[in-house]
Order: sequence, then C-alpha cells, then structure tokens
Amino acid sequence: MATRKPIKKRSVPATATKKKAPPAASAAKRKAAPKVAEVSPEESPGADEAAAEDDSAGDEAAATAKSTGRRATAQSMASKQRDISVSEFFAKNRHLLGFDNPRKALLTTIKEAVDNSLDACEEAGILPEIWVHIEQTSTDRYKIGVQDNGPGIVKKQIPLIFGKLLYGSKFHRLRQSRGQQGIGISAAGMYGVQTTGKPVKIISRISPKKPAHYYEIQIDTKRNEPKILNGAGEGVDIAYGEKGAKDIEKHGIEWVDQPHGTRVTIELEAKYIRGRGSVDEYLHQTAIANPHITLHYTDPEGNVREYQRAADKLPPEPKEILPHPYGVELGRLAAMLAEAEGMSITQFLSTKFSRVSPAVAKKICTTAKVSPRAMTRKLGRPEAEALYHAIQATKIAPPATDCICPIGEELLLKGLYQVVPGEFYAAATRPPSVYRGNPFQIEVALAYGGAAATQNVDKDLLEDLIEETDARTIRQFLVSTFNGLGTDAADRIMKAASLGTRQAPKQLKPKERQRLLDAMQNVNVAEGQTMEVMRYANRVPLQFQQAACAITQTITSTNWRSYGLSQSRGGMPKGPVYIMVHIASVWVPFTSESKEAIASYPEIQKEIRLGLQAVGRKLGMYVRKRMRVKQQGDRRDIFMRYLKEVASAVSEVNGVDRDGLYNQLLTVAKRVTADADMKLDDRGRKIKEPSEETDFGENVLIVDPKTHAAAIKRGPAAVAVAEGE
Amino acid sequence: MAKKKLTTVAKAPKVKLSPRDAKTAERLTGLADRVVSAANNRKDPYVEIPSRTLANVHYSPRKKIIEMGNATNRRQLFDLSQAKAYMRTMLVTSGCKKLIDQGKSTSLRGLFYMLKHTIEGVKENTFDEQGECDTIIEDVEVLLSSIREELHLYAENRGAMVGAITFTDKGDEINCAKMGSGGYAIPSIVEPEVVVFDKAKCKAKFILHVEKGTVWQRFNEDRFWEKHNCILTHGSGQPPRGVRRMLHRLHNELELPLYCVLDNDPWGYYIYSVIKQGSINLAFESQRMAIPEAKYLGLRSIDFERCQLSDSVKISLNDTDRKRAKQVAQYPWFEKKPKWQTEIKKMLSNDFKLEVESLISKDISYVTEEYVPTRLREQDWLD
Repeated sequence: MATRKPIKKRSVPATATKKKAPPAASAAKRKAAPKVAEVSPEESPGADEAAAEDDSAGDEAAATAKSTGRRATAQSMASKQRDISVSEFFAKNRHLLGFDNPRKALLTTIKEAVDNSLDACEEAGILPEIWVHIEQTSTDRYKIGVQDNGPGIVKKQIPLIFGKLLYGSKFHRLRQSRGQQGIGISAAGMYGVQTTGKPVKIISRISPKKPAHYYEIQIDTKRNEPKILNGAGEGVDIAYGEKGAKDIEKHGIEWVDQPHGTRVTIELEAKYIRGRGSVDEYLHQTAIANPHITLHYTDPEGNVREYQRAADKLPPEPKEILPHPYGVELGRLAAMLAEAEGMSITQFLSTKFSRVSPAVAKKICTTAKVSPRAMTRKLGRPEAEALYHAIQATKIAPPATDCICPIGEELLLKGLYQVVPGEFYAAATRPPSVYRGNPFQIEVALAYGGAAATQNVDKDLLEDLIEETDARTIRQFLVSTFNGLGTDAADRIMKAASLGTRQAPKQLKPKERQRLLDAMQNVNVAEGQTMEVMRYANRVPLQFQQAACAITQTITSTNWRSYGLSQSRGGMPKGPVYIMVHIASVWVPFTSESKEAIASYPEIQKEIRLGLQAVGRKLGMYVRKRMRVKQQGDRRDIFMRYLKEVASAVSEVNGVDRDGLYNQLLTVAKRVTADADMKLDDRGRKIKEPSEETDFGENVLIVDPKTHAAAIKRGPAAVAVAEGE
Repeated sequence: MAKKKLTTVAKAPKVKLSPRDAKTAERLTGLADRVVSAANNRKDPYVEIPSRTLANVHYSPRKKIIEMGNATNRRQLFDLSQAKAYMRTMLVTSGCKKLIDQGKSTSLRGLFYMLKHTIEGVKENTFDEQGECDTIIEDVEVLLSSIREELHLYAENRGAMVGAITFTDKGDEINCAKMGSGGYAIPSIVEPEVVVFDKAKCKAKFILHVEKGTVWQRFNEDRFWEKHNCILTHGSGQPPRGVRRMLHRLHNELELPLYCVLDNDPWGYYIYSVIKQGSINLAFESQRMAIPEAKYLGLRSIDFERCQLSDSVKISLNDTDRKRAKQVAQYPWFEKKPKWQTEIKKMLSNDFKLEVESLISKDISYVTEEYVPTRLREQDWLD
C-alpha cells in the first residue's frame, strides 16, 4: 500500500516502468518502486508489505504455470528477477528525461544546470548571475559550462548532487521551485559520461575565505553512486587567487572568479542548432520570465549575448505548505495514516494537512462514520476509504495561496520589454486559484507590434548594420538583425527587392542597398505572422509539445477577433504578437515526465482564459485606437492628394486663384483631420499618455518601436540590451 | 494636362456662346463657385447629386413614364470614401467647361483621356478606366440637369435606320431610302440643332424597331420597309440614348407609331420597358426619350406553339433569367397588365426563351414575310 507514495510522487520512474516493462517482468517492476524509495532518507515502512504482495503474486503465477505447462517455471524466472537501479533504468530510457536526440540533450543539460543554479541562488537570497558557455570540441561533441554566483555546495554533498540520481532537496516538500525531482543534472552528467567518457567537472566555493573544491565525477550506473576520479577519490581543493586560477586552467575548465558559486562542466554528444527549441530560445525566454537575473551566454560560434537584470529585487521566497486534503489520493492517504504514529484521527487531519481545523476534522470523521479519537494505526483500508470519500464530501477552505510567488505584472512588463520588440505591452497576474487541492496562479503578458523594426531603418543605419553583420547571406542578415522577423518575411523582403538568396550583404552595390531599403520599408512583415507563444511553468520556459499544452489549447480556443487580431477558426491568432503565459504552482501538472506541456485541468484553463482576456481587452483598445489614428492619418493623406486637383479644376472653371483656394482647402482639411494632427505632433516620442485619452488600466507599457533597443540586434558580438525605461 | 482628343464638329469656335451653351456654362461655374465659398467659410465643400437608383425612381401612371424622385446623395470632399469621386466630379466639370468655352465636343472616351493624368506626388491616376469617367459624367448631367449633349459630349454611334424618310443632319440631306445594306448610323446626338425633320419628306407610316443588327439586316435585305412603308431601326441590344431620342422624335414630331420586335426573354422585355417607360439610370431623361405608346409585337411566349417551331430552337432559362423575369413582372408598369403577366408566366412555365432568329428555322424570310405582317394585320401586340 505504501508503494502508492513513490508512485504518486515519483511519477517519473513509476509510470515510466509501467509503460516499458513487459508483462513477464511485472515482479521486477514492483521491485523498482521500493528501490526508488530506498533513495529517500526516511525509511519506507511500506516496503515489506510490497514484498509480501510480490510473494503472493508469485505463488499464483507458479500455480497457473504448473497446470498449463509453461516454458519457464516460477522458480527459473525468479532467478532472473533482480533489482534495477534507477540510474540503469534512466541510462536505458534517457528519452524520458529529455535526452532523446543530440540536439535536445544539449538543451536539457543546460536547462537542468541553469534551473538548479537559479533555484539555489534564490533560496539563498542571492541575485542570480549565470554564465553559460557552449564550446564545440569536435564535430558532434560540445562542452558546456554553467556557473552561478550561488551559495556553493559543501564538499561532502557535491558528489551526491551531481553523481547520484534522485538526490536532492526539492522532492520532499510542497514548494514552488523550478526543479521538482532531483534527477536532472545528475542525469545530464550520466549522459555526458556515457556518450563521451569524460567526467563531470565541478568547482564550488561556499565562501571567499575557504578554498574552492574541484571534483571530477562519474556516475556508477549499476549502484547509482558517484565515483570520484580526481584526488584519489577525495577531490582537490583550489586556492583563491592567482595560483588557483592556474590550477583551474590546467584542468581545462573555466572559472569566473566569484566569492561563492558553483560551476559545472559537462562534455557530451550534442548538436547545436538555432531556432525553435534551441538553447538560445531557452535562455532568451528564461531572461524574460526572470527579470532579476543577469545572464552571460557564449554560444559555440563565440558570440556573446548578455541579458542584464531589469529588477534588483529577488522574488519573495516561496513558502512550503502542507498538502491540501482535496489533492490527496486514497493510496497516499492510507500511507500517511500508516506513517502517523500515535495520533488520533482528528490530530492527524489537522496537523498533516492545510486548512483542516479540528472542527472540520470532526466533521470529516462524522461523515466517514469513524470515531474522531480512533488512533490512526488502527484504521484499516475500509476506514481509510471512508475517510477519503468524506474529505471529498466535506467543504474545506481552499489552500493558502501565499505560498506562490508570481513574477508580478510590473516585472513581466519589464522582462518582456527588454527582450521582445514591440510598441504595446500589457500584463495581467490572476489571483491564485486551486486545482485538485494544489494552489496555482496564472500570469499572462503580451507584446504587440514587434515586427515593424525593418520599417524604422534609414539609409545610414542600414549601412551600419550591413557593416557590422557577419551574416553570409541577406536572409541571414535580416533574420538575425531584426528581432521577431521570420524567414518568411525576410524572403518577402528579398523578393520585393529582387535580390538573390545567396548574395552577401557586404557585397551589395549601392543601388541594391537602396532597393533593399525600399523593400524593407514597403513590405508588410507582419502579414502572415502568427502569434508567438511563450509558455512557462514556475519560471521555466516550456519549449516542446506546444499542441498538447493547456496554454496553447486555451489560446486557440479564445476568440481574439474581438481584440483586433485576425484568427481562423480554432487557430492561432495572426499578427505581430508575442504572448507569454506563466503558471506558478507548488505542483505543476505536466502531461508527461519530460515536463513539456501543462495538463488541461478545467480550473487551470479557466484561469488562463481569464488572464488572456484581461490582456486581450487592453490590446483590443490599443489596436482600435491605433487604427483610428492611422485612419485619420490616411484620411489626411487622401485629402491632401486630391486637394490640389480640386483646386486646379475649380480655378479652370471660374478663374479663381488656384493657390489661394488650395490653401483654404488645406485649412479645412487640417480642421477635419485634427485627430491625426495631434498624433503627428507627437511622433518620435511616446505616442500618447495612455491615461489621457484611453484608460488602459494598470500595467500597460506603450513605447515607440523606433527607439526600442530590443528591436534591432546590433553587430555580431555583444551589445548589451539597454536598461528598461 | 493629358493629351486632348478633339474631334472636329461643324461648329465654328465662336467667342460668343449660344444661349444654350451659356446656360450650361453658367451652371458649371456655379458648381465651382460653391467650392470657393465653402472653402472661404471653412466648410466641407459638397455637391448634392440626385440619386440614380431604383429607390429614387417612380412610375408615373399618368405620364406612363419613369420619373426621378427628389432623393439626393451628398458627395463630400472630406469624406474618405467620397474624396476621390468628388475630385473626379470637379475634373469632369472643368473638362466640360473647357469644351464649351472652345466650342468643341468630344467623345466620352475623349474626355476620359483629356482628364486622365497622374496625381502629383503619388502613383495614382485620376481615372483608370473609362467606366469610372462615364458614371461621373452621368452624375454631372443629373447634378446640373444638363444632358450630355449640352456638355458637348457624345457617345459612339450605335444602331442604324433605313426607311422612307429624308431629313437633314448637320445640313446634309440624308435619304434613308438610299442607304444600301448598312443603313444610316444613328448618331448619339440627334437634337434639333443637328437633325432636322421635315414632315413633308416622310412617307413612312410607322416605325419597326428590332433588337439586333442581324435581324435588322434580314428586314433590310428583304426590303421590308419598302413593302410596308415604314422606318426600320435597331439599337444593338439595349438601345443607346441616340437611338431612343431618335425614336422619340420620330414618334412625337412625325406621329409615327412604334412597334418592337424583340427576343422572347427577360432581356427583350426589359428593352421594351426601357423604350416605353425609360430606364432607371437615366430616369431624368425619360421625358425626352420614353415612348409610352410603343407596342410589343413579338416574340411572344406562345409563338413556339403558334408558329410550330421545332424543339431545337429552345434555349432553356437559367436561374438569372428566371429571377430577372420575376423582377420584370413586378415592375409597376407591368404589374397591372394581365396580358403581360400571362406573357411572363407563360415564358416561365415554358422554361425556355426564343430569339427572333429562331423563326429562320421555319424559313429564311418567315419573319419578314409572314410573322410581322400577320401581327400587324391582326393588330396582335402587347401594350
């Protein structure tokens, strides 16, 4: 019965085994669960029971085998049945952890390392600064290094954290954090060792006064134990300062000198590809959702991209909470009952769960027809079941939601503004809500109008950009220079400029440059562009399985037409829009073990929809207003165009002074299109104070795309993204 | 300005305008003056154009013609959807003024080329197609209640006539009995200044109007007009204004009855309706063009049985035809005529239409020697 606990909480190994194990190995499969439980420091009292169950199952099998004359007997099979180590299991099934292909392996490794670093920094109350370095060592091998300025790890723990699967601090608590399992980084290390044979190298320093520790670790997959390779199994200490730096260099790793922090270096078989689902995208999106971090990223081509922090305050520390009774399943409840020593039912309910007062506990007991003073140990399965149903039938206050730390509307805006080009930004943080007893909170932010950067380029700037770029083709130049410009739009620009795909930007003749400039200004790059969705769970970007995710599903089922965007039925809305949706929860319901898509709970979908609608309404107001301004501008243009014609026609008929009449008509035109005039005056700056005319409510940012630094990526090497306004 | 296509018309370029031209010029100037005064008063300049839609025409049972109502459409310069049309209206105004001042006239296409040019500073033309110019011309006609001829504009010649009549056209004597196989091409302007009738020189007793040139050829070749002492005209389908005006003048000034031989289809009915009552688009000219006494000689929907035609000449009706027929049946001037209702119903129940040429299946000259003479003799027509 207690086996339910690991199955539930460690959904990774348990469900995975269920799927993979052939029927004959069912006994072995059962063994796998207790083995996992062994890893946890507390003893699992259910292990014996599980073993007993196995025995009885074996007897049954043997009985049937005798009567039908099977190929193997229960005894012969029993000799082959043995423990499977978690690490062995994952070594064979590495796709479950996101190491399906070399490309994804690179991303997963970086992701796990960065997530761990961020969690560590935040828990220690340090503003995170992260260095990511990817280096190509041979055609299909990359060396990645991730360093943080976190608290560091004490010497004794380093090998365990990096060299043992399912070892960590985050699993046994109900608290909002990026990592949940304690598998990630050690699995990445294991993958690296398996594919390249190179050990995982870790440097960690906990204080400037103490030397840093340096370890080279391999994971012993058979035993799920770390194997330390250097310093005769003890690791080595590295002194502070000059001497230490030399040592570090000798080991072929880097270390940005910091008073405290950790650097992990893994060499692995991988493939570096830009675009969707890439490391670049992951870091980019991470920077948006975590405006309090500073990120230095060196890609395999040596380009450095820096993301400066937009906020100097850490997000508040998430609180750990007790589980809410609604979210507890029968098996887990039974296990908890068995674990609770010397407690009455009422005590048990009110101390082990949140939001259960003694009065509520009593009510549950009455409904379940169990004596409130009965000792937990004495309760059997039927009583547990009765209790379980009673809990579901009793009205209990929703769980405390202060354990969740949303990013916050202001920081969402800042983060988005810094990284995504646009002219209109809006954000909405929904109040916390609950699904299946787990509190969660939805945040939505939106950036609109980001694709027009090509239109804001003048001749000089284009010359500069062409000078700075190292792109080999014009298409590459356009795509890499203008943030948010897709290859489709780039192709359209090139077609309009009648330039060849293979032409190098630097070799363009002046005439061709002019054509390119004209095309950039005339091609509507927003045409055919669909909404870009960025999904986050506890500040971690989700990059795969977009279609399976509750976020995507809710976006497509929301009607965006009423917010001024075009949308085909059940499709993504069209237009230059970026939208980010963040779900923060103590337990994010993923559809699968690889944490790539959110499960579609109706409560979650409802909250997402409300959040989308909140930003959508503001977007609608802005789009309509912009359209109005544009229309007025168009009107002005059209009138201007015809006024001269009218004036000369009239003067030909009645001989009136042509220019005099023209000027008079011009005055009338100006009066009629006064609205557009007002806008024209404001050009070059913020278009309008939002509060003056249209009340967008709070948390809206309107900028002039012409002056937006994020819109154009300058040069091949680092140009830091400017600080927020 | 764009190139000019001036056609010589036998009208000496006088400094002094004829009274009629002076009146038109005055109206044109008035239009321009209103723009100036609006601009002086900081107001949107606009013109009120009588609406040329079905909603703004009504049938006068007394006069038996279609008349235009009083509804107008305001065309403003400072309206996004109308600015261009307004500009074009002014261009047409100035073009017409120029023609009048110079004492010249031009074709519709000529005016189109005269006014077509690229607007300064943008890649946009004042006019792209002649059709755009033609509608504006019609607007100006109703706006000034001056007809096209008064604006010194004419359309392409269409339609022809032969018959026992002699008249003068721009001083030249035209003997319609000696027009060979082609006939006299009816000009688009047949006003008294151009075409002068002499009652004494008209021997014809009636006018026979046929729909198309091909049928007209048949009648002409058979010298129908000679045998029956009539005038034979056609209008190439929907008769243009010149033909209608000519028929109107022949009918009213020379008191000749008018008979029409048209196809038995909704389109034929409509042509008859236009000749008889006037058209919706040109309702303002009904007075000068409609001939309420015109008679519909054929083809009738009963002709298939009556003339014992073969099945092969049937052309089945399509959806548009059926829809159109029902519309025609509901016109106020047909609505109260039981004979017409039966006629249209019969065609709908036949579910096929008949062209005049279908009578050729009986005999090449069946229509001229048998069909029309019989109808005339028996006075068998629809009114």
